[in-house]
Amino acid sequence: MQKLVVIGAGMASGRLLEQLFEANPDAYEVTLFNAEPRGNYNRIMLSPVLSGEKSYAEIVTHDDDWYAGNKVTCRFGERVVSVDRERKVVVGEKGEVPYDKLVFGTGSSAFIIPCPGHDLPGVVAFRDLEDTTAMTEASGTPGGRAVVIGGGLLGLEAAAALRMRGMDVTVLHLSGHLMERQLDEAAGYLLQKDLEKRGITVLTKASTKMIQGDGKVESVLLEDGTVLPADIVVMAVGIRPQVQLAKESGLEMGRAIVVDAQMRTSDPSVFAVGECVEFEGNLFGLVAPLYDQAKVLAKTLLDEEDTFKVKQLSTKLKVTGCDLFSAGDFAEGEGREDIVFRDPARGVYKRLVLEGDKLVGAVFYGDTADSNWFFGLIRDGEDVSDMRDTLIFGPSFQGGATADPLSAVAALPPEAEICGCNGVCKGDIVAAIEGGATDLAAIKATTKASASCGTCTGLVEQVLSVTLGDEFVIPTVQPICGCCDLTHEDVRRLIKSKELKSQPAVWQELGWKTVNGCHVCRPAVNFYLLADWPLDYQDDPQSRFVNERNHANIQKDGTYSVMPRMWGGMTDANELRAIADAADKYGAAVKVTGGQRIDLLGVKKEDLPAIWSDLNDAGMVSGHAYSKGLRTVKTCVGSDWCRFGTQDSTGLGIKLEKRLWGSWTPHKVKLAVSGCPRNCAEATCKDVGIICVDSGYQIGVGGAAGMDVKEVERLVDVRTEEEAIDYTVAFIQLYREHAKYLDRPYKWLAKVGLDWVKEQVGDPATRAALIERFDISQSVYQKDPWADHVATRRRLYAPIADLTLEAAE
Amino acid sequence: MDTTLDTPAKTFIEVTEVWVPDGDRLKLAEGNYGGLEEFAAASRRESFAMGEGLPGKAWAEERPVVLKGFDGSYFKRTEAATAAGLTSAVAVPVFDGKTLKAVLVVLCGDDDERTGAIEVWHEQDGLLMLDDGYYGAAKHFEWVSQHTHFPRGQGLPGGVWSSETPILMRDLGSGYRFIRADSAAKAGLTTGLGLPIPVPGGKTFVLTLLSAKGTPIARRFEIWDARSARNGAANEARLIDGICAREGALWDPDNAGNERVVKAWQGAIGRVLGTGVPLVEGGKPGLANGYDSMVALPIHLDGELSHVVAWYL
Repeated sequence: MQKLVVIGAGMASGRLLEQLFEANPDAYEVTLFNAEPRGNYNRIMLSPVLSGEKSYAEIVTHDDDWYAGNKVTCRFGERVVSVDRERKVVVGEKGEVPYDKLVFGTGSSAFIIPCPGHDLPGVVAFRDLEDTTAMTEASGTPGGRAVVIGGGLLGLEAAAALRMRGMDVTVLHLSGHLMERQLDEAAGYLLQKDLEKRGITVLTKASTKMIQGDGKVESVLLEDGTVLPADIVVMAVGIRPQVQLAKESGLEMGRAIVVDAQMRTSDPSVFAVGECVEFEGNLFGLVAPLYDQAKVLAKTLLDEEDTFKVKQLSTKLKVTGCDLFSAGDFAEGEGREDIVFRDPARGVYKRLVLEGDKLVGAVFYGDTADSNWFFGLIRDGEDVSDMRDTLIFGPSFQGGATADPLSAVAALPPEAEICGCNGVCKGDIVAAIEGGATDLAAIKATTKASASCGTCTGLVEQVLSVTLGDEFVIPTVQPICGCCDLTHEDVRRLIKSKELKSQPAVWQELGWKTVNGCHVCRPAVNFYLLADWPLDYQDDPQSRFVNERNHANIQKDGTYSVMPRMWGGMTDANELRAIADAADKYGAAVKVTGGQRIDLLGVKKEDLPAIWSDLNDAGMVSGHAYSKGLRTVKTCVGSDWCRFGTQDSTGLGIKLEKRLWGSWTPHKVKLAVSGCPRNCAEATCKDVGIICVDSGYQIGVGGAAGMDVKEVERLVDVRTEEEAIDYTVAFIQLYREHAKYLDRPYKWLAKVGLDWVKEQVGDPATRAALIERFDISQSVYQKDPWADHVATRRRLYAPIADLTLEAAE
Repeated sequence: MDTTLDTPAKTFIEVTEVWVPDGDRLKLAEGNYGGLEEFAAASRRESFAMGEGLPGKAWAEERPVVLKGFDGSYFKRTEAATAAGLTSAVAVPVFDGKTLKAVLVVLCGDDDERTGAIEVWHEQDGLLMLDDGYYGAAKHFEWVSQHTHFPRGQGLPGGVWSSETPILMRDLGSGYRFIRADSAAKAGLTTGLGLPIPVPGGKTFVLTLLSAKGTPIARRFEIWDARSARNGAANEARLIDGICAREGALWDPDNAGNERVVKAWQGAIGRVLGTGVPLVEGGKPGLANGYDSMVALPIHLDGELSHVVAWYL
């Protein structure tokens, strides 16, 4: 009988022995070394053991009886010191064992981030029973806090389990969404939501600076300065093959032990299997390929033929109640098409990625039925063109099932606010309907929902439809775009009432039919999110029009215009000199605009950062001539200079511009302040126009002088400059919070009615709240984009290559 | 798992019965009364209007109800129960949306030996608080539980609440250091089954059955996942977790989707899938692994039968 020595009693080598004994129990006399003081157990089930949902006894794969029955000599708890390939012996801590064939199954070890404090007691990995026991012990302290570093499979399983054990758990993840290697952003969002529902705190884009503590872990310090108290820190950022012994034995190494398709190393008598193996450049971490390797190696050891092949893999997460599945490649790319299905009410997201006629990737969350069928299509590269239209519904599709456009509203809880004006919740409306109010007029009369600004009308109708079924027919509406079934107004209201604070949240909860929206809905949703949640949502430049991305207006010849801000239309000799110098230096044409600003035309894209920097140096900031935001405040010279001037119109204009600049609005906003009713600043055709009179200030809103020409309507007359500023700010904020994206104020006013706007800004408490919210938003967004781009993104403006250069000969 | 543990012992639950709505009354569909024939006969003669007796109360109040001590209570079969030595009962309504499918009633007898727990937890101010529970002789554990609450995701009740899934926990008490677990260990509680009890109106209730070795609630527990999100359009369920004193672990060790599957009307679990109503069987051949009795309780969530939990003794 030949002598087989196996180093490492893990899942791969365990499966190898099973296959070997099953095929020929008398082929080898086996000695099994294991550094852990126990035999093989189902390591991937450690997380349910940690949570208490499985017992250790249940996950033992091979017990003492099994080893005895197969006459395996077990050297458990004994490390292998070296391998002498010349003499064909394995040297253990307690003595040598000769071999004819040797198998390395040394597996992998956890990667520990080498940050300061990583070696403090209380920092654990999650690889074996010892780690699991350490975590269980740590969870014994009442009110204990755990920080899990790494939002991958293992980290999240540990986090959920520690939460079950009663700990306060925070997950730190470096990337923007959880499990980014297996999930796309949308599924990552749902997973995060699911974990947060369990009371787990998830911090993405969280980079660990150091682990602090005196003699043991006490807290984790993040790069952004956040300090998280911790009784235990679980490192679950990845694994690395454990191959030191193999390396010292002189075997050929890559990133791990290099093997051929028969699992043979560079030494024909030595084999390797599992996570310590490198095959054709691949490393392995999931269990399925390990079992394939074990099967192949068993045959190789019995001199039978078999070949290991790298196959497609799929991922599942073992957290009770989290159903997710991912397989294949789901990166966006040229020639790839997505099919997306979302059901907000059930929290379901399904995405298939097709390349040509083949399914190449799939991500499912919340509904994993048929995942094996889809996995088969990916693995086998089957032609799916015949069933493309119904593919997403799975193999048993009988026709007819489509997403329900009402599901987003059906999913709203009763306490979700539908009508912001009158504070009416979904539950109130449902109660009114059940009480006999079966149409919009009756709902308005009984609950006041949709009775003020009317922007929630669509939602109220949907609640009617959800509650009454086909007894209520919803009037047809114009959805935001082909990506969804909701209007702009509905989307705005739902972003507020469902507290949606990210794009993935909007796509999922409102049932978007595309992965990431389109060029129509993305800018709108981006604006709604940043207007409603300035502190939570981060502006997404990729969801902006090109002029807003480049902070300059592109001209017909491909050059850009650059317009510095001149507060209230006032400038001075120094600024004019700087503008003149810039015009000379960058060959720009100079134009005075209708809004009393100086425009430099014909600037090349690569010169933009330089000209911005020069103008910044002269104390000027961007004039935002390209943005959906405050453009200019036009003024006349006012009482300082003009014989007719009644108030300091220039001063008010400057104050308004300094207060309002930088804020994003649904469309561009132009202001003007005229010092007397002669109206030299043409204030009566602006979005907000103020006419100064002896008794104070007349504030008009909703003027236009473009495609439509319209005189402002009087919002209010006030006595003091301070009140004029307050009303203006409150009006702008109301417009920011309620208007449809790309509606100028006059269009918005036509929908909601001036009376309602007057009521809102006229109420002192509402006005103060609007101003407060505006100022909060400005604390984030009032910054010069020129200075920001010069400092952080200069290189993006440089051309990729200079094609005007000629080769030297 | 050691079969010598499987010797006859006093059981924690003595009677289990299923009451189903028939018109405006609840009628007995089936029951397992052990040897308590007179109580069985008294029950067969009984029916309950909404709000009447224990099953009627669970129906009317749309919530699980724990009743300890029948004397002077609304319990209708007090005389027969007292004669049979039964002292406490728990009624669990099974709702499918707003529709009552059945009321499951379990009855227990009191003495100094029977240990176990049947608890009802409800959500209040964002925490799960003990509504009430029957603990038999586990008096200290009862006291501890009355003074414990669970945030989302924590412990068996909190885990069930946040995952909206039945959960089966092993080795209650081992490794747990916080007080309830410590007390559970001292009381000899080993296995815990927690399940959500959906009721109309969206209130949160979680039922837990905590079983001790000496006087077990069950020796085999099963959790079947019947959601279409797992099984597609087929009306079937897969055994996602389970533990058995005779057979050991009942789950797929390779986590590869090779669980046991039953279709609607296929066997006892299949019958529950088909009817959506709980099932109680006793003293019949053909139960799993030669057990004498079984209870299977369906959970209806989000408009579908989502899970079936079963326990065998």
